[in-house]
Amino acid sequence: MMSIAARNGVLSSYLQATKHAVKNLGFGAKDVAATAGPAGIRLAHTDVRIPDFSDYRRTDVIDPNKSSQDSSEGRRVFSYLVTGATTVVGVYAAKTVVTQFVSSMSASADVLALSKIEIKLSDIPEGKNMTFKWRGKPLFVRHRTEKEISAEADVNIAELRDPQHDKDRVINPSWVIVLGVCTHLGCVPIANAGDFGGYYCPCHGSHYDASGRIRKGPAPLNLEVPYYEFPDDETVVVG
Amino acid sequence: MAASVCRVGSTVGRALAKTRSPILLSLRRGQASVSYAQSLVGAPETRLTALDNGLRVASEETGHATCTVGLWIGSGSRYENEKNNGAGFFLEHMAFKGTKKHPQTALEQQVESMGAHLSAYTSREHTAYYMKTMSKDLPKAVELLSEVVQNCSLNEADIEQQRAVVLRELEEVEGNLQEVCLDLLHATAFQGTPMGHSVFGPSGNARTLTRQDLVDYINIHYKAPRMVLAAAGGVNHDELVNLAKTHLGGVSFEYEGDAVPILSPCRFTGSEIRVRDDGLPLAHIAIAVEGASATSPDIVPLMVANAVIGSYDLTYGGGKVGKTLRLARLAVDENLCHSFQAFHSSYSDTGLLGIYFVTDKLHIDDMMHWSQNAWMNLCTTVTESDVARGKNALKASLVGQLNGTTPVCDDIGRHILTYGRRIPLSEWDARIDAVTPRMVRDVCSKYIYDKCPAVAAIGPIEQLPDYNRMRSAMYWLRF
Repeated sequence: MMSIAARNGVLSSYLQATKHAVKNLGFGAKDVAATAGPAGIRLAHTDVRIPDFSDYRRTDVIDPNKSSQDSSEGRRVFSYLVTGATTVVGVYAAKTVVTQFVSSMSASADVLALSKIEIKLSDIPEGKNMTFKWRGKPLFVRHRTEKEISAEADVNIAELRDPQHDKDRVINPSWVIVLGVCTHLGCVPIANAGDFGGYYCPCHGSHYDASGRIRKGPAPLNLEVPYYEFPDDETVVVG
Repeated sequence: MAASVCRVGSTVGRALAKTRSPILLSLRRGQASVSYAQSLVGAPETRLTALDNGLRVASEETGHATCTVGLWIGSGSRYENEKNNGAGFFLEHMAFKGTKKHPQTALEQQVESMGAHLSAYTSREHTAYYMKTMSKDLPKAVELLSEVVQNCSLNEADIEQQRAVVLRELEEVEGNLQEVCLDLLHATAFQGTPMGHSVFGPSGNARTLTRQDLVDYINIHYKAPRMVLAAAGGVNHDELVNLAKTHLGGVSFEYEGDAVPILSPCRFTGSEIRVRDDGLPLAHIAIAVEGASATSPDIVPLMVANAVIGSYDLTYGGGKVGKTLRLARLAVDENLCHSFQAFHSSYSDTGLLGIYFVTDKLHIDDMMHWSQNAWMNLCTTVTESDVARGKNALKASLVGQLNGTTPVCDDIGRHILTYGRRIPLSEWDARIDAVTPRMVRDVCSKYIYDKCPAVAAIGPIEQLPDYNRMRSAMYWLRF
């Protein structure tokens, strides 16, 4: 009998195909499609419907009657390219953010603002010395006369304690810009005073000339010349 | 249902599903033993004839006293649509309920009086009705088979009765988690296409299929050019052909309105389906990539590759055997799984190449990792000795499969439907010998490396990694 044969071990793998459940003749048309498994009811696996994901598919794989192998390389290349590009952009963005945070610890804008000073030269008449506060120190801006310029240019450098030619201390000979801090012990020299037509430091008697060079007295060096430039004829930016 | 072996794969998949010890085909009576090479050459030729209506007749004569004869039809769940999915399976149930000439009891009595076994199976692309009987009863067998296929009575009362039986079987198969897992794997891998249909069909269809549906199914698919009458055992080919002409010569070969059902390709989708049920003791998991079709030249290297991975079961020789296979060794040493097998289901234009394993809930992550590692190894570093071992194992299993008239007959039927001819063992042997490690690496890389897999998992699967992680394990960071 067919059902008996089905139980035969050797042949069962071929005969399992059709189990004639003769004993189930009295079964009745009971609707049975759920299995009461260990954890409750499990539906027949053939009733599980795979949802239609067409909304999310790439155009190459929307058609179910076309093999996906042909487009597989193209799709992968696209994905990897996008991933690679995003990584590069992401790394760059991260680098930018980190740099911004780290550089926030450097000097702030107000400090940087103080580091430069812009001076309008037309305010200073010839022969006059004006003093400005710059980086916490006095800054002397002197509009020299022709006489002073030629006098300073003719000075013999060998006689100077700190030898420097005038043209090495100025960009435009009409204008001398030096720090008003005596190189001896830091007092502020007085302009248009002293024996050499320049500056005189009252603390210990240092005499500077119209170029800011030390001539007489205890100071060892010439008055310091800061970095400055003339963006145009009317202004100078120091710092 | 439908012999899980047939579902899991074609001949080759089946060959790898079970490990058999090599059996020497002793074809010449009276000789003590035959060498392997001799047996290949001496295997009887399969003769093939086509009738006028396109029906093919093939047989292998081995001189046994028994034989298996059957009709293999190129139809299956792949040819069904949403509405009639399950018709083929239902029809298989109805087949033995009687024909126009022999009502059920008469049919049963005829079969029993011959001492024959009548059975059938349905798979995704093939349907088969076959009978195991004595060689002398061949004419009767062919007559009954042709009756069953052509003149099935399809009684309304029987149909109603069979609904309950089909539903009952559907319920029972839920207990066979291997079937369920592999069915779900097909459903998700080939989602949206007819390949995703399970042979059983949804329970709704089992309740609503009508007689007309079944009749339509027969009319559309049971056509002579798609049928093969195959036989193996003590059969005479010419006699068989005459019987076929008599009983099956009338099988139609024309389609209504010339609407020949042409199979369109089925799209593979890398995807996953997880059926978590912590009440089950073991997790059944299958992971697969799109494989080669049955007619592809890549199929032999892939078969060898699967043999390199091999299979393992806790019950093999006390659990300590199988240490030569890399994955099996890991499985044993680390107690990773209860069983695993590498499979390759190949169909006419596509396939599923994968690994199926059963493990407890705490070893899923490791087992998946090592399975994919085994794949990566195949793609990159498989060695000469691995491949040599795989080739031998494969040859042995191919030979060992054909251990009886029924497996041989099945082989014949399916080969004719798939390839148009029977591929003899000697040809398989030659193709296997031609496989080199480089070929295995190249072919595996083509199908496995950096491809999206389809994963189906049932049971306590909390530990199963996220799909993206499994996808990432399909390649190695290397050049």
